[in-house]
Amino acid sequence: MNIGRALAVSRRVFMDLKNDKRTMALITIAPLFAMAIFGLAFSGEIKDVHVIVVNEDLGMQTPMGQVYLSEAVISNLDPDTLDITAVDNLTSALAMIEDGEAWAVFHFPANFTNVTVLAQNQLTDARTSVNIYIDMSNINVADSIMQAFNGAVQQTISESGFELPVSMNKTAVYGQNADFMDFFVPGIMAFVVYILTTLLTLITFVGERTSGTLARLTSTPLRESEIVAGYAITFSIVGTLQALLLLTVGMLVFGVNVEGNVVLAFTVVALLAIVCQALGILLSAVTHREAQAIQLIPFIIMPGFLLSGVFWPLEALPSWLRPLSYLVPPSYAIDACRSVMLRGWGLDMVWMDIVALIAFAGVFLFLATISLKRRG
Amino acid sequence: MHAIKVEKLEKKFGEFRALDGLDLEVRKGEVYGLLGPNGAGKTTAIKVLTGLLKKTSGNAEVLGIPIPNKDIAQRIGYMPQETALYVGLTVHQNLEFFGKLFGLDRAEILTREKELLKFIDLEKWRDELVANLSGGMKHRVSLACALIHQPEVLFLDEPTVGVDPELRVSFWNYFANLKSKGITILITTHYMDEASHCDRVGFMRSGKLIAEGEPQAILKEAGTKSLEDAFLFYARRGGQ
Repeated sequence: MNIGRALAVSRRVFMDLKNDKRTMALITIAPLFAMAIFGLAFSGEIKDVHVIVVNEDLGMQTPMGQVYLSEAVISNLDPDTLDITAVDNLTSALAMIEDGEAWAVFHFPANFTNVTVLAQNQLTDARTSVNIYIDMSNINVADSIMQAFNGAVQQTISESGFELPVSMNKTAVYGQNADFMDFFVPGIMAFVVYILTTLLTLITFVGERTSGTLARLTSTPLRESEIVAGYAITFSIVGTLQALLLLTVGMLVFGVNVEGNVVLAFTVVALLAIVCQALGILLSAVTHREAQAIQLIPFIIMPGFLLSGVFWPLEALPSWLRPLSYLVPPSYAIDACRSVMLRGWGLDMVWMDIVALIAFAGVFLFLATISLKRRG
Repeated sequence: MHAIKVEKLEKKFGEFRALDGLDLEVRKGEVYGLLGPNGAGKTTAIKVLTGLLKKTSGNAEVLGIPIPNKDIAQRIGYMPQETALYVGLTVHQNLEFFGKLFGLDRAEILTREKELLKFIDLEKWRDELVANLSGGMKHRVSLACALIHQPEVLFLDEPTVGVDPELRVSFWNYFANLKSKGITILITTHYMDEASHCDRVGFMRSGKLIAEGEPQAILKEAGTKSLEDAFLFYARRGGQ
């Protein structure tokens, strides 16, 4: 291995990227675009869901006057999530769900306050309930409706001084003030580097093969390992710069917090980039034309998208599918970046992810070199 | 003295014999033209000699060193059939890159670049992206890249394919110029008329050499006026 020649290759790849404005735009703008689009789309906030309240609650006479528990619950419903309309009769309210005008109807029966208060004071064995009619055709919307309703009930119970036999006491071990973007940015950093590095090396290398430059390189003193090393140097630097860019914008625009050592997170991203450029070179060995490289894109993106845990937790995968995520390098990088940036973990805690990435790098660099050495 | 010596060289792709016992000797300092129709095995021969392909059997030496051997790489220049340049880089960046691969330092690269750009008459285009050059200019840059490290043996694979007549003439002037500096050149072409520029030519057919000699001598022996007719003469004779 001659470092001078590896550096010459590295510099050449840099120049190629730098001279091409479109590629530069892809490298810099695409990650930010991905962060903004995915960040906003997947933030999980569902708003302005139209629901109907049919309140037939007659209330209860108390020494403090007429009390309506139903009113308390309704006023505690989250006005951001729900867009509430009051309707007098249940039949026309239900018709609105059937017509697709509303997602749910909350129906408070006449005895709601009365029975609830008496039952709380153990003066009756009767029970009452709120009837919820809900369009479950969109599970995300239905979930957020139920969540909003449960929240309102909980709040009403505590305000009314009612007692539940069990109370929940939540202490955040990690991520006390973390919002969605805090969670998302470490993941998208690794994800973007995975996708772009693999694609860029794949396309660049297919170019080397089709244009004949690779053949010409073979006739020079340059060795296969030096080609791979040169590409690795460039793309680890480019990957780190992309991560730096994403994090900077994440912090300035989305107010992302970082708990741990950023340098450790960047090291993880750089390692991932080395794995991915080797993967790109390896994949280029099975393609003969640019068009074939394009056919590979779904096979690069989909596993990263579905199996790396970047958008959905791995727990959301069916158990038989989960082991596959161990075969997808970005899984480790995403896990490590999140642990470092959200939990503030150090090398002593994320070393296993790093060892996995180093192992992937070793295997892929070796295979990429072998694939270049193969001669007709 | 031989710059290239090939004995019974065989190269098979599956069952197809691209080289079928090729014997060839190229003397130091000569321009040797390997002639033949498409598919005769000319390019395969060059690719085996430059280390791009593995031989199946037989022997070959370049500059006295049996191939394959990476040590030869430093001493040979190869200009592939395709332009094989980094079109996203400038002329200068291409030359600089190839110079570095051969271990040249910055000063050496700049000196060589100056000479070469003058030689191929592209001094004004030094900082232009290769992508913006015409086909003929790209060919000239490709030649310059193969010469950056002052190779002793130059392999040129169909350097004049798709090149206009005017440029072809100047290419042969370049080659004569290089020969005068003591560089050995092995050149393939299927333009028979060009071969008269060579010191010696070899006719290739089906992976073998069917005739060899100085162009004039070949014409005389075949009793034809053109090398093309001479090739047909030998091809028919070889077929009997």
